[in-house]
Amino acid sequence: MSNSYPTSKSDGWKFILLRHETVLLLVLAFEWFYFNSIGPRFGTLDNTFDMVRHSVEIGLLALVMTPIILTGGIDLSVGSLLGLCAILFGKLWRDAGLPIPLAMACTLGIGAVAGGLNALLITWLQLPPLIVTLGSYSLFRGLAEAITRGVDTFTNFPPSFLVLGQERLLGVPAQAPVFIVIAIGIWLLVHRTTFGRSFRAIGFAPDGARYAGIPVERRVALVYVLAGVVAALAAVIYTARLGQARADAGTGYELFAITAVVLGGTSIFGGTGSVHGTLLGVASIAVLSNGLVHARQPREVAGLLTGVLLIFALGSSALAKLLATLRARRQTVPTNIQSKQMP
Amino acid sequence: MPKETRNPKLEPQPDAAASDFGVRPSFGFRNSTFGFFHRHSRELSVAAALGLLLLFLAVAAPAFYQPQPLLSLLTREAPALVVACGMALVIIGRQIDISVGSQFAACSVCAGLLTAMNWPLALVLPASVALGASMGALNGALVAGLRLPSIVVTLATMVAWREGLRWLRQGQFVNLPDGVQWFGLSQTTGQQTLIIVALVLLVLMAVAMQHIAAGRFVYAVGSDAEAARLAGIRPQRVTFSTFVLLGAFVGLAAMMNVVQSPQVDPNSGAGLELKAIAAVVVGGVAISGGRGSLWGTCVGLLLLACVNPALTHLHVEAYWEKAMQGSVILLAVVADGLRTRKER
Repeated sequence: MSNSYPTSKSDGWKFILLRHETVLLLVLAFEWFYFNSIGPRFGTLDNTFDMVRHSVEIGLLALVMTPIILTGGIDLSVGSLLGLCAILFGKLWRDAGLPIPLAMACTLGIGAVAGGLNALLITWLQLPPLIVTLGSYSLFRGLAEAITRGVDTFTNFPPSFLVLGQERLLGVPAQAPVFIVIAIGIWLLVHRTTFGRSFRAIGFAPDGARYAGIPVERRVALVYVLAGVVAALAAVIYTARLGQARADAGTGYELFAITAVVLGGTSIFGGTGSVHGTLLGVASIAVLSNGLVHARQPREVAGLLTGVLLIFALGSSALAKLLATLRARRQTVPTNIQSKQMP
Repeated sequence: MPKETRNPKLEPQPDAAASDFGVRPSFGFRNSTFGFFHRHSRELSVAAALGLLLLFLAVAAPAFYQPQPLLSLLTREAPALVVACGMALVIIGRQIDISVGSQFAACSVCAGLLTAMNWPLALVLPASVALGASMGALNGALVAGLRLPSIVVTLATMVAWREGLRWLRQGQFVNLPDGVQWFGLSQTTGQQTLIIVALVLLVLMAVAMQHIAAGRFVYAVGSDAEAARLAGIRPQRVTFSTFVLLGAFVGLAAMMNVVQSPQVDPNSGAGLELKAIAAVVVGGVAISGGRGSLWGTCVGLLLLACVNPALTHLHVEAYWEKAMQGSVILLAVVADGLRTRKER
């Protein structure tokens, strides 16, 4: 992986980020008006709430993916972990007979353990996150399939639990307040604490961060454990929304989450990015997939477009970076030579 | 004795340490039999595991060794071996490609449609290979040209190809005309042909990786792209070529899969990427690039292929297959991690 990152260009980066988020807002507005003109029911309040309902799980995964990508890592296992947690939640409630709140707490614990497994392998053995989470991507989904034997589903959850996914609370979908609380929490963590700043330092240069006194392993482990816990929470909300838990829950969600983060302007190499950018990315993906349904396009188109969108987002930021370095090189040839002579 | 390029960061440097104290390193170590074992310890330990598994199967399930089921097993694994060879190349070059399963499905459906239009096999095969190579070229261009991380690029293309195929075909099977299955030969001859094709490709690639400059370039780029560039290699071109080659291999493998059955499943190749990556990683190719061999990959694939019959015999259900694959990948990288940790 390339780590040729321009180091002394914070002003340029601020500019690009700013531009990135405004562009994203414009895209979002365009999507909104376009789909509004196509589907008569698109702009209604009901449909907006529907959109919120359908995008909360992906939104949660994207929110916790942001600090991971900020540290220069990646987690491909979140979608599979969502499936595994959904199954285990159903199992704990139906087969072990636990009351719903206790089963929820246990599920969150399981998520933490699963995230901890990723964290352990990544920090203790210094293994690349991509292969570790690729392995656990297969392991978690495989466990979910093995536990249910591929056919078992969990249904008939009590109505008091389904409120969380299907009813309204204070006029908004019940899962929206949960999402907002988590979003604010992660925004504060990333943008308003030294903790969050250390994620970026690690993403820029892990060795530099270590020399600066940051406990790199512990911080990196924290973000993966956090991802596990929030993926478990997303699993509970997913189960409440659909009223059933299945082994294939959350298939492909990792792609949507990563796409939302990258669309939101977070550098895939780590070091720069923002949580509010991610939220905009989630919103634009949610509007796109919902709008396509209203435009009577098949479901596959949404997946196809998300893949294409991810490549375009990555490609455009890579091109911008390439152009910026070229321009910088042209302007500052003398200083470059000077800095090369310095030890 | 072929030399092996190693990642200097991961390798101990006994010579340097010893010469500091005026002690010369022991002569003949590198060329001795022990040196061979030392250098290929990873491949040999996987081979030993495979030997133990085969021994277990011989004792517990002698039916495994009947010629016809064994031939079928090897035929089933032949396309995977071809894909794993290409995957080993990409991983040795310090990249990864998780879109091979979707490429495989696209190539299979394309080959199926062309044969259904009565194209001769001699034309369908190049078409399938070309389609695979061009999909690989797209990945390669994005990774090498724009310097994007391969995992994210191929995650995007994996979903894009798969969903695009689903959209175009709506999950329809392609019926093949008569005379396509096993190239119109008898089943046994067809199976033997496929196995021989895969083995020839493996031997060619393994020898090329050890002895041809282009093969050494892949190791050089995987070890340290910057050092390779300073040595006069163009790392971006090497990376691009490995992706194109992998795509072409996937096209060939898809063709080898198409001729095995009278229909083409548009969902074929699901999970192929994990199988190939697992074989490569289990076979001792370092995920951080620059180390490993294709022989190890072949042994790793055989080991994975024999795990399933062994599990069936132990009355473990087939639903555990995916979980097994995941844990095998994790175990292999943990073993590698522990090894490098000890050496550090």
